[in-house]
Amino acid sequence: MIDIPAVNYPKPWLLFWATVVLAHGYMDYTLYQKWKNWNQGITQSPANRGRWGRALKIWAAEVFLQRQLFGLSSFRWLIHLLIVFGFIALAFLSLSTFFLKLSDYLGVGRVVTHYFLQDNGYIFIKVWGDSFGLALLLGLVIAGVRRFALRPEQQINNQTDVFLLLFLLWLTLSGFMLEGLRLALVPAELARYSFIGRFFIPPGTYTIEELKPWLTLLWILHSFTGVGILVYLPHSKLLHSILSPLVIAMNALEEQERRDLYWPEIEKYRATKLPRG
Amino acid sequence: MARDRKIQGDKIAQGLTRRQLIELEACARCGECQVWCPVYAQDKRECITARGKLHSLRRLVEEGLPEDEKREFLEALYECSACGQCHIVCPVRINTPELWEQSRLSLANAGIPQPEGQIKQLATIKEFNNSFGKPQKERGLWAKTAWETGLLKSPLPLWRDHPTPLIYFAGCTASFEPIMQSVAVQTARLLQEAGVEFSVLGEDEPCCVSKLRRMGDSDFPLEAKKRLNQLEGMGITTVVVSCAGCFKGLHSDYSKLWPEKIHVIHLTQFLDHLVQEHRLRMEHEVPMVVTYHDPCHLGRHNRIYEEPRRILRAIPGLRLVEMTRHRAFSSCCGMGGGLKVANPEIQHKMGAERIREAESTGAEAIVTPCQTCSLGLMHGADEAGSDMKVYHLNEMIVRSVCPEAAREEITSAFAKAAAR
Repeated sequence: MIDIPAVNYPKPWLLFWATVVLAHGYMDYTLYQKWKNWNQGITQSPANRGRWGRALKIWAAEVFLQRQLFGLSSFRWLIHLLIVFGFIALAFLSLSTFFLKLSDYLGVGRVVTHYFLQDNGYIFIKVWGDSFGLALLLGLVIAGVRRFALRPEQQINNQTDVFLLLFLLWLTLSGFMLEGLRLALVPAELARYSFIGRFFIPPGTYTIEELKPWLTLLWILHSFTGVGILVYLPHSKLLHSILSPLVIAMNALEEQERRDLYWPEIEKYRATKLPRG
Repeated sequence: MARDRKIQGDKIAQGLTRRQLIELEACARCGECQVWCPVYAQDKRECITARGKLHSLRRLVEEGLPEDEKREFLEALYECSACGQCHIVCPVRINTPELWEQSRLSLANAGIPQPEGQIKQLATIKEFNNSFGKPQKERGLWAKTAWETGLLKSPLPLWRDHPTPLIYFAGCTASFEPIMQSVAVQTARLLQEAGVEFSVLGEDEPCCVSKLRRMGDSDFPLEAKKRLNQLEGMGITTVVVSCAGCFKGLHSDYSKLWPEKIHVIHLTQFLDHLVQEHRLRMEHEVPMVVTYHDPCHLGRHNRIYEEPRRILRAIPGLRLVEMTRHRAFSSCCGMGGGLKVANPEIQHKMGAERIREAESTGAEAIVTPCQTCSLGLMHGADEAGSDMKVYHLNEMIVRSVCPEAAREEITSAFAKAAAR
């Protein structure tokens, strides 16, 4: 049993959920419109019907392990993996903690909620959050350096790319800032588990009353930025996070015989990766 | 105006597959296609890259494009050899060559025709049944001349006189293009050397019409079906082709429309088989260092990489060195996808770049198993001012098996016959 002090501050839940519903509705509607447009196209039945097992294997290798990107550049593979898995793990954490708190409030599944909110599971949540937060932050920073400092010839930068990078960077940093502010009210022996968040603790000693307005403000900024992703997703490069796995799956079914394409010999692949000069 | 654009956009969308419409939006804009695109290496405009084309095509489908952007997109769409390099390197696996071909077809159906040069070429193919605009009667002359000049061991049987289940399909280039007729003669001679029972179609040999598919002509299924019915009606079960373009058409495109009824194999696969079975005896040394160019339609599109290399390695005295870009990463010579017709200047530059890459290996010759690629590489050598020799794979085998049928002998014999 760990003594975890409650850090309670006002959160505009109603407004938040109303916004989530609206944003989700907007995203769903926009994606539905796109789906309608795609459905104008000719429907092709998968050429290799019935070979789902192999298609699934290809899909997993391409989507989860990002095999193709690894073959092209391990540097880009690392950046992409840090961002993708950092983001997914944090989104999963946010959803999980929401449901844990809801269950706790409703008195459902007390053993689980108690373990994660008041016992050793709390440490797991903190370490998980900071680890993947760090992964996301690192991924975004390296991507920014590559894109704007190293400037590889193939990379085109337009306003939407800058915006998306800053948008995600703000989402990550505001999360750490909020965590830092909360940690200012938590004993040091507990704060140490938030091994990145603790660097964001403001200097000095504060009471909860002093920090409440700032906690609320940061919570609003962080949460509503997260909701903003739902609205921005269908109009941005982020859409590829949904469509790329879909296309890979469709191609895996239609073209799985192409072994050179889906299972390239990585060494030969890399040996020829510099096409000119 | 906006309504007209929307109607046209919808028409284009209806001509693409659902997956292709999704692919237009799935591009992550990483630019890997730009790094590898052999056309972009010659014409450094964003619209040339797969990324650029996907972006423009998506806008064309969704909202239409302003006239200047539309012109630029169409230029880029046809200034593409559909070599498939971008497909191989794309992390999203967007099937680009299929998309470009289908887009050309869909655009033409929506009232946006191909460039003038391609329209003429398509009309020629349909009118003359060959891409050279020559009378079909001349198609089989190479076989007659080859026998009369002593280049063959026996006269080549015409299918109509001596039907065989296996035929050699020479293709338009090897039948009509004088500097490439040696490919047809050497193929026939090698098959004779191996004791293969085969015949040729002569003036009954049709054009494979794969160029119709490459350039997006809506008559492709109809014309292809005619040819398939013709071959099936003759009772032909196996077709050996020496052109990578014909192979892609007869083997890959036809079988996508109808289940494969006729076994279509490329010459390299067949010769490799004959070499393995010791039916082709390579007795003469060929003391040369050569590099091998993978034709896109054979390599990337049909995964035939090993067979030609195995043949080359089996030739005594010959040493094979690889270029930096080989197999799935072989740089296109620019002859495919109607690019040569749309923009010959770019093709020459692409061929020249490939020749320079071949030179950097220290090889004295570049070898390829496709008559169309051979022609493209020869243009490239001229453009680069290079002395690099360009040979069809047949030439290397012939030099080892029957040197009396080497290219120079054939060219000189055919020139003498023409003078008579």
